[in-house]
Amino acid sequence: MEFGNSGSLSEDGIHLDMDRLKKGEVNLGTSIMAVTFKDGVILGADSRTTTGAYIANRVTDKLTRVHDTIWCCRSGSAADTQAVADIVQYQLGMFAMTNGKPPTTQTAAAIFQEICYANKDRLSAGLIIAGWDERHGGQVYSIPLGGSLHKQTYAIGGSGSTYIYGYCDTHWQEGMEEKEAVEFVKEALKEAIKWDGSSGGVIRMVVLTAKGADRHLYLPDTDYKVRHST
Amino acid sequence: MPGFDFSNYNRNAALHARGVPLPKATSTGTTIVGCIFDGGVVIAADTRATSGPIVADKNCEKLHYISSNIWCAGAGTAADTEFTTALISSQLELHSLSTGRKPRVVTCMTLLKQHLFKYQGHIGAYLVVAGVDPTGTHLFTVHAHGSTDKLPYVTMGSGSLAAMSVFETQWTPKLTEADAVELCSQAIQAGIFNDLGSGSNVDVAVITKEKTVLKRGYVKPNERGQKLKSYIFPKGTTAVLNEKIIRKEDLGNYVSVHELSTTEDDAGDKMEVDA
Amino acid sequence: MAMFSQNPIMNGPNYSFSDTPKVNAPEGARQHRFDPYTDNGGSTLAIAGKDFTIMAGDTRLTSGYSINSRYHPKVFKIGGTTADQKDASIVLSVVGFAADGEALKERLDAICKMYRYRHGKAMSVKACAQRLSTILYQKRFFPYYTYAILGGLDEEGNGAVYSYDPVGSYEREQCRAGGAAASLIMPFLDNQVNFKNQYVPGSGEGHALQERPRNPLSRTEVEILVKDAFDGAVERHIEVGDGLQMMVITKDGIEEILLPLKRD
Repeated sequence: MEFGNSGSLSEDGIHLDMDRLKKGEVNLGTSIMAVTFKDGVILGADSRTTTGAYIANRVTDKLTRVHDTIWCCRSGSAADTQAVADIVQYQLGMFAMTNGKPPTTQTAAAIFQEICYANKDRLSAGLIIAGWDERHGGQVYSIPLGGSLHKQTYAIGGSGSTYIYGYCDTHWQEGMEEKEAVEFVKEALKEAIKWDGSSGGVIRMVVLTAKGADRHLYLPDTDYKVRHST
Repeated sequence: MPGFDFSNYNRNAALHARGVPLPKATSTGTTIVGCIFDGGVVIAADTRATSGPIVADKNCEKLHYISSNIWCAGAGTAADTEFTTALISSQLELHSLSTGRKPRVVTCMTLLKQHLFKYQGHIGAYLVVAGVDPTGTHLFTVHAHGSTDKLPYVTMGSGSLAAMSVFETQWTPKLTEADAVELCSQAIQAGIFNDLGSGSNVDVAVITKEKTVLKRGYVKPNERGQKLKSYIFPKGTTAVLNEKIIRKEDLGNYVSVHELSTTEDDAGDKMEVDA
Repeated sequence: MAMFSQNPIMNGPNYSFSDTPKVNAPEGARQHRFDPYTDNGGSTLAIAGKDFTIMAGDTRLTSGYSINSRYHPKVFKIGGTTADQKDASIVLSVVGFAADGEALKERLDAICKMYRYRHGKAMSVKACAQRLSTILYQKRFFPYYTYAILGGLDEEGNGAVYSYDPVGSYEREQCRAGGAAASLIMPFLDNQVNFKNQYVPGSGEGHALQERPRNPLSRTEVEILVKDAFDGAVERHIEVGDGLQMMVITKDGIEEILLPLKRD
């Protein structure tokens, strides 16, 4: 009833079902990104969760730990992305215990992709996986709606990202210092929040390096200038 | 076989396709809230249950028991909140018995979200989960589709906007127990008076490390006024077309009768009747 | 980040009649049409007495689960010579879509004033009732979405109540409830005004029982019935509440009474 008998099958055999995306929620509003830099990766996100026009949570944490130095940015359905992240967190925990060593970012991204691709007709989840590991250092992977996997130097996602493709393209530099990378993420997200109505609230970041995970918090009260304690 | 019975699915789908509407479930178009304070957590709810625009119950209970240290406020489809909390309460009790530990709020929240996610929103339970366990004080919201949030103050249901406006203007960090109870009560009253889906009384539950106190009818700002006239009819007003009297002694001919003790304490619970 | 809501106004798949599948719609087609009507809730009530008529309505205005106003009158004096209507003798109550109600009231009032100007006398309730029917039927294919009740005193000085459907079908009655809680109030009125389902105890067996004879109710009795009817409706209907507006029409003029109702 829910799926299958709505939507249309186009000439190329691709099943289009706009209802599925529209049921309950039209706006997949979020601004998320992750970037590599000299010593590792930085994940960043806004903090707005909406049901229709109502902000259900203005201080959401969309940066989710799946292993010590492998994290993900979630966009799309809150329920779907939480469920997927919970499964991956469990799997990576098992991986670390059975193999006696932490998983690589690539492994984590592959598990994410497995779930997103196999359940593509049931999930609305746009994920960015970023992590640091001993072998490869900092890495960023993007898994958009269909469940494909893309290794990137940096990735942006969510409805707010459409406003900052140009900004990111012109300001991106390979191998930035941590301070520069934090500024890059912050300025990009500030623009995304400014222009996208369904993004907003605080800016959260996680810096993943050999030293582990370091959380950043920036509040609109101080114009996102001051780093607050979490 | 555990779980739901789908044996009428095909028949109902066929009727549905022919335009027969679904039966209307009682929904608790509701205001529920929760708020953490120094040393514990408060949850509160209104007591109106509706079926469309009609008030189905003027004094229903929306605060559900999970375990002695965890309570849940429910919005959405009344039956779903009732059964989901009861199911998870049972699972948590068994888990607690097998581990020999006090149940944790995160465990409860995880069981709820995994159960609700499995049913993809078809179980219309929207919950505020609160409790104190050995790891500390916790407050969560769980939506029907299985997403959860962790916040110091939360609201849900159709009156959530009215209630949240109270929290967003009045809430401060480091509340005392009395402050938190009062704030939650004010938030619920904002829902009661400004949201048509909410009404009647305020129920409050205060959970601390030591104990849980359920304050049923903490505020009653909507007592029914006295009727201006008596509507008692003289006996014989209603027309009776025929009459048949069955004496108590002959009752056994029609139904099986089990004599119960007539003393007050084992005569069973008194039925609750609305005024 | 998206979540799903249980609130019918917001979005959310809901366990309700609105989820009934549209079988006639072609695959992939989405309905999109102009919908100019809203139901603003509320309820009205009118009872004709021997030499008076009482018109009443609650003052709550709603849309969905929200209260737009706690004081929005539904009962209006019609056809006075001045803006304050102090010499009016006819009362109109409207419930349903508030904007249409307002428009209908303005229209009928203007017509009554024109009648007074042209004929040099006030319109009778009977004439006004017929005219109101015409106004409603003129918009047969784009109706005023209102349930109107007209009240006053007839040429003999007896209480008169006329009730209407949205397209102008009307009838003179003893009493009538309209709007959201009509189905709650009307049976109460049938029983308490026309003594329906009441029989004289011991007057016979079975079908031979005598119906309780009707006797004209006094003004105070009717006022009590109106108040109790609304107190009851407020208890069980979410769209009724806040205030009760009553207009008592007698040969000495129209008295307006305002009373508080529950606000939840």
